[in-house]
Amino acid sequence: MSATAGRLGLSAAVLAVLIYLIFPVIVVVAISFSSGNFLVFPPPGFSLRWYESIAGDPEWVNALWVTLKVGSLSALIAVLLGVPAAFALVRHVIPAKALLSALILCALVTPPIVTALSTYLFFVPLGLVNTVVGLACAHAVSGMPFVVINTSASLRSADINLERAAVIHGAHPLWAVLRITLPIISPGIVIGAIFAFVHSAHELLVATFVLGGVGKPVAVKIWSGVQATSDPTIAAASAILIGLAIFTFASAAATQSLAKRRTA
Amino acid sequence: MTALAEPRAAPLLRPALSSRGRMLPALLLLPCLAWITFFFLAPLVLMCWRSLASEGFSLEPYGVLFTSPLFTKVMITTVRTAAITTVFALLLAYPLAYALTVSGGKVRALILVFTLIPYWVDIIVRSFSWLILLGDNGMVNKALMALGIVSAPLQMLYNPFSVLLAMVQILLPLTTVTLFGAMLRIDRTLITAAKIHGASEWHAFRTVFFPLSLPGVYGAGLLVFVLALGFYVTPALLGSPRETMIAQTIMVEASQLLDWPQASAAGAVLLIITTSIAAIYNRYFSLDRLWGGSDK
Repeated sequence: MSATAGRLGLSAAVLAVLIYLIFPVIVVVAISFSSGNFLVFPPPGFSLRWYESIAGDPEWVNALWVTLKVGSLSALIAVLLGVPAAFALVRHVIPAKALLSALILCALVTPPIVTALSTYLFFVPLGLVNTVVGLACAHAVSGMPFVVINTSASLRSADINLERAAVIHGAHPLWAVLRITLPIISPGIVIGAIFAFVHSAHELLVATFVLGGVGKPVAVKIWSGVQATSDPTIAAASAILIGLAIFTFASAAATQSLAKRRTA
Repeated sequence: MTALAEPRAAPLLRPALSSRGRMLPALLLLPCLAWITFFFLAPLVLMCWRSLASEGFSLEPYGVLFTSPLFTKVMITTVRTAAITTVFALLLAYPLAYALTVSGGKVRALILVFTLIPYWVDIIVRSFSWLILLGDNGMVNKALMALGIVSAPLQMLYNPFSVLLAMVQILLPLTTVTLFGAMLRIDRTLITAAKIHGASEWHAFRTVFFPLSLPGVYGAGLLVFVLALGFYVTPALLGSPRETMIAQTIMVEASQLLDWPQASAAGAVLLIITTSIAAIYNRYFSLDRLWGGSDK
């Protein structure tokens, strides 16, 4: 095989796979702006009516609000617990480190249905079912790995000598960490928090078991909509989630390039 | 390779902290571990307990599972679907990850953005999109009929094909990023060396790069397989009701039949399978390399 033929074949394969990856996203976004009553692609015309119908429906507005509350609270818990853990794992010699970090990360590979069922059984006697706080507590577990991974990465690339310099000049070690190191690694923490938030917003099964009755979050509402209705409201709700995702993705990328400039 | 790589400058600030320094890592880790123990491990233990002790201690729910032909069929469908998904995800992710490895600058950034955008889109939404595309009046059928390839709409939904198409698309970004991370660790000077000694580009790829990338392929494969085993949304929306996966079985037993011991037993079986595979993965590849966490 000649080198050019190989290059050409690779480019064609990459293009095809990228189209396969992106096309479903385009379809949902396009249909959300449809003027028609049914889920057809390509849509017959452009309109914002499905977004208007979401904005005018208190149930959808409430669902978005619930998702926002659960996501923020779980991301906050994940940051408060995950950042100190990342410090311990990166900076200290601790026994069974591999086991401990695997324990922190294992929520990511546990099947969501198993987490959902076990959380529900555990929450019923505690009275945490049907509470926003309960769902946020559960989501914080799967949000923590994202915070620990991103904070550790930032922490490893941060220059420790700045903190040492502060300590040598008389600063309390804790103060040096809070005032010097924390601002340096803050982009990593923010990215971790964004990942944790998005994970919570997308999570369906734990949300269904814990908060599936009253005050459903968006993911649960979309899921019941997908199975029942066939008008583009669902597409619009999905597109709002996509918009949210792309917005967070862009802000994550912006934070990262900001961080690079700062550490450079 | 230990998870979360070794500290660059090990016992720093230790003198300043004196005896408190030894307590510090424990204090930093404790809240996080306590949270995981209470909100994650304790529920899992409780679930396994509920599967054994509904009315006194009995293994009955497990007996029911393993003698039921339906459960056997569900397990076969689950493992088969996950395996085929893994193979296709690897086949499609490999060229993408390779292109990311050999390209640089703007091309790499562009491919990476297009690969990652779908990762940020809800699984429900991505599955739902295939529902629209593959329906009788969907774009795919219309195109096929317009081209005269088929005369009547093909039944493309609610079968293994539609589930596979959507699951591979959903797992592709993660597969690609994991493979890319592994490929970046390959020493590229070895390929240059092969070329200097007269190997063609293809020959250098086949005899040097590809064998070196295989551990990464196995790692990504294990990871995708574990995640695919637990899929719920995609098979529930796009699959045949006669060919369900284990997550759907657990969902029906819990939310419709309210049979908690039976649901817990099925959950425990799935948990044991995925935890074993994750443990193998962690032993050889370490979990924190996911999402490009540790070294890049």
